[in-house]
Amino acid sequence: MRGMGSKFDRGCRSGELAPACLAGAALPPRPQTTARMPVRGSQSCHPHQDNFKEVAMRQRIVSLLAAGAAMALVGSWAGAAFADEKPILIGITTAIQVQVGRDCVDGAKLAIDEINAQGGVNGRKLQMVVADEGEAAAEGPKTGIAAVNKLTGEDHVDVLIGGYDSGVTLAELPHISRAKTIYLGIGSASPSIQQKVKDDYEHYKYIFRVNPINSAKQAKGLLDYITGMLKGQLGYKRIAILGENAKWVQDMVPAMKSGAEAAGLQVPIAEFFDVQTADFSPIFAKVKESGAQYLMIILSHAASDVFVKQWYDAKVPVPIGGIDVKGQDANFFDRVGGKAISEVSTNFVLRAPLTPKTIPWWDSFVKAYNRAPVYTASGGYDAVYIYAGAVKRAGSTDTDAVIKELEKTDYVSARGRVQFDDLHEVKDGPGFVNELFVQWQQNGERKVIWPKEVANGKMIMPPWLVQN
Amino acid sequence: MAEILVYGAVISAIYAMLAVGFTLIFGVARILNLAHGSFYALGAYGVYALTADAHLPLFLAAAVAVLLVALFGVAVERVLVRPLRRSTLAVLMITLAVALMVEQVLLLIFGSEARNVPSMVNATFDVMGADVSGQRLLALSGAIAILSALWFFMQRTRLGAAILAISQDAEAAQYMGIPSDRIFSLVMGLSAGIAAAAGVLVAPFQTVIPGMGLLPLVKAFAIVVVGGLGSIVGSIVGALLLGYTETIIAFKISIEWSQIVSVAAVLLTLILRPAGFFGKRAAF
Amino acid sequence: MSEHRTDWLGALVVLVALALVPAILGSSYITGIMTVALCFAMWAASWDFMSGLTGRENFGHSLFIGAGAYTAGFLNVNFGASPWWSLAASPLVAVAFSLVIGFPTLRLRGPYFALAMLSGAAVMQSLTIIFSEYTGGQDGLNGLFPFFDSELTQYYLTLFFLAATVTTLRLVANSPWGTILRAIRGDEASCQAAGINVTFYKIASLMISAAFAGLGGALYAHYQLQVGPDLFAVILSINIIIMVYVGGMGSIYGPVGGAILLILLTEALRAFSEYRLWVYTLILMLILFFLPQGLVAPLWRRLRTIAQ
Repeated sequence: MRGMGSKFDRGCRSGELAPACLAGAALPPRPQTTARMPVRGSQSCHPHQDNFKEVAMRQRIVSLLAAGAAMALVGSWAGAAFADEKPILIGITTAIQVQVGRDCVDGAKLAIDEINAQGGVNGRKLQMVVADEGEAAAEGPKTGIAAVNKLTGEDHVDVLIGGYDSGVTLAELPHISRAKTIYLGIGSASPSIQQKVKDDYEHYKYIFRVNPINSAKQAKGLLDYITGMLKGQLGYKRIAILGENAKWVQDMVPAMKSGAEAAGLQVPIAEFFDVQTADFSPIFAKVKESGAQYLMIILSHAASDVFVKQWYDAKVPVPIGGIDVKGQDANFFDRVGGKAISEVSTNFVLRAPLTPKTIPWWDSFVKAYNRAPVYTASGGYDAVYIYAGAVKRAGSTDTDAVIKELEKTDYVSARGRVQFDDLHEVKDGPGFVNELFVQWQQNGERKVIWPKEVANGKMIMPPWLVQN
Repeated sequence: MAEILVYGAVISAIYAMLAVGFTLIFGVARILNLAHGSFYALGAYGVYALTADAHLPLFLAAAVAVLLVALFGVAVERVLVRPLRRSTLAVLMITLAVALMVEQVLLLIFGSEARNVPSMVNATFDVMGADVSGQRLLALSGAIAILSALWFFMQRTRLGAAILAISQDAEAAQYMGIPSDRIFSLVMGLSAGIAAAAGVLVAPFQTVIPGMGLLPLVKAFAIVVVGGLGSIVGSIVGALLLGYTETIIAFKISIEWSQIVSVAAVLLTLILRPAGFFGKRAAF
Repeated sequence: MSEHRTDWLGALVVLVALALVPAILGSSYITGIMTVALCFAMWAASWDFMSGLTGRENFGHSLFIGAGAYTAGFLNVNFGASPWWSLAASPLVAVAFSLVIGFPTLRLRGPYFALAMLSGAAVMQSLTIIFSEYTGGQDGLNGLFPFFDSELTQYYLTLFFLAATVTTLRLVANSPWGTILRAIRGDEASCQAAGINVTFYKIASLMISAAFAGLGGALYAHYQLQVGPDLFAVILSINIIIMVYVGGMGSIYGPVGGAILLILLTEALRAFSEYRLWVYTLILMLILFFLPQGLVAPLWRRLRTIAQ
């Protein structure tokens, strides 16, 4: 290994080192994440629909380029524009290269276009500025913090909408509060986010969560499913719980375990795994051995594609269900070759008559983007309308006045009726937003099987467990 | 117990396929190839593209994918690595650049979502009471076949002898008239092909995403350090060691702890016995 | 004018320029980005001190950065200590880490040292995730306090420490000490034969490098107001090495320029959204292809010649 040291002894002789440096150069700051968008159309679709999606993809690229140009313009001229004609700036912070992020952007854009077509708000148009948060698993929160600071410090947006990773959102909060900018969260689920509003209202009154229901409440929903569906209807006595190693999951699992045990169920396994895990066979073998009759899962950033495939291939004699964020994607079933059959995943929006708005909204999203939306699309769309409504009622974009109006929000969305509680948290339960338990059934159809009030289908079992 | 035995064997076999190529090119050409994981990823994506887009039959697609990746490996050695081979750090950096480029190209073409490669064997088998998918057993037997073929090639053919000669003493081998440059290209192609074959075999039960090459690279690295850089036997022993340790920890303690095994093994080996179990210190 | 005096004059001009830029632009976004850039500059300079001088490429510099940052996080969040304590504690903890990892690994050469350091950092990253009860797991520790409420004041604090870091490291590098370190890179065996305690010098240089990396980690943590496992990540170490390359290895001040340049470049490319990585890579390749010795240090050498 002399060569390595001596190379540089002679102080980089020219030529010889050039390609080495070149190689170093090719190292981006975050190699895993950026520059994923141009193919978003094709990646989110079934192979057979490629041509169809190709057009959508090209449209996307054009609109993105336009958005990029607009961003650059806004960045440099926002300050110089005339006050009266100045558009209301909506800042979007999300991971633009993954599906939850791109649906957030597209959902918000749909709402902005609709509102602008009707003349805007208080005579002002809405305009969107997007800043990439990067993918948390690879980049950490650095890019997200910079995104918030860019939107607030450089673009001077009137409101921030976005978020998809609780860790990144939590890291952004102090920077958002320092910038005194309203933030409508539409993707992160950690209860610690809204807890800040309770702990220190003055500092954190800017923070609202439009979507989703926080993970503590989701845990309660899961517990209802365990006691009502699994124990009540199916008569199960032993369940296993498996979650990925993230804070919001760690908050949830102990509560679920003790809740299930209090309800008279046995929980022989409650385990976490690293989001990098690629081989789940040990865990399946353990679950099988423990005699559990159902495996509750909580997956968000983990490789749930692989999880489901390995579960199916090993014919694990235990049905699975719970929170699987990637399993909420409309194309998930195709992506795993149909091996998601009978998997249950929570969801917040689905093409079902949840409210009078649901089906029309769903169809208009599909019409605009040629793909089915995920939960952040509804979140982004609703957040724009909720903010616009508050500005209209307040008569200005003055932050404190808008916060007062936001707190009085009463808006019927595609997911249910949206009101905020004291923690600026979206209210849940009957009449409000609900956590739906949705099952992948034959031919990739999705049916709501729980809660009972909104169910539109019956639960099925994995094919290898069906008794003849 | 049966599960540990079977699953450990499958994982070890895949690890061995990854590590053998990695250690081979280092032993022969002193190339620390950080693009090794990319060959694995390209193998998986190759079989995906050839089946889903070009509609080739699965097994034909697998063979074509492996061949293409092997050619790509040769090209990387010829064009990018050869001019820099005198500096280990430069090679490290250029292969890292290749790895990143490959990931970005895959990202651009296929997107960030996981891709589905159908199983070559759909049945599930009962092996000593453990349910094992047919694809895993295929991966296991494929790995054994490929590694045996490699062993035969190295021990019984003139070319193999030439490769071994170079890895023992490159200078002397050159004096004996062995064309080292051509051997380097060949070994790079071989190493890329084996990695691609691993990618093809595991694609149906692993995540096919653009960044899928990183973890195998880390594992190959760890195995090769533990076994001794440049030693083929060492890399197979290392693969068994790591594969079974990980599986046992995943079963007996927690799947959470199994991820730390490889890096901790590297650190311990380097501190206690830097040349690895089968490495030759003199080689460095 | 002597070379030496021109160097100091040049440093002063750069320092004044760095001090004025955020004040003139007056954007809290730019100030924030510059603060991050200065932290990276500290990391790059401290990497260059150990690896650039002794020729042992450290692929686990993030170990010291993460150690410093998590120290700041624990003190501030868990024990409610004032942020100022971090400035003393973080370098100390980082130095402790350098001792633990340095003794067994510094005898290794070339890729073995690089690999050992890399795995050391990777082990720590895995541990922060496994012991998430204490470390916050993937989400890390949140709710750190800044040194000052004003971002500008915080920037000046970082700038002060960067200036102190570069001055100290340059002074040591130009002293007999630095000569010995360079000699070790050239031929370790001869140094040993000449009666130099090679181990002592290698360990000491790693400790100094770690101390400033840890200090930078604390400053970074109290600006980001959060620490997470990404601060232990291998990719962070690699990014720092790239910055050193762009700056010019072995010069200490070059990597500072390289770090600031690349951080600003990454942010400037935001307008390209998904294409930013391509553009960034392309620019880097051009710089490094046509300027194999780096950009900043050779540029300064030429300027210095002109000035004289």
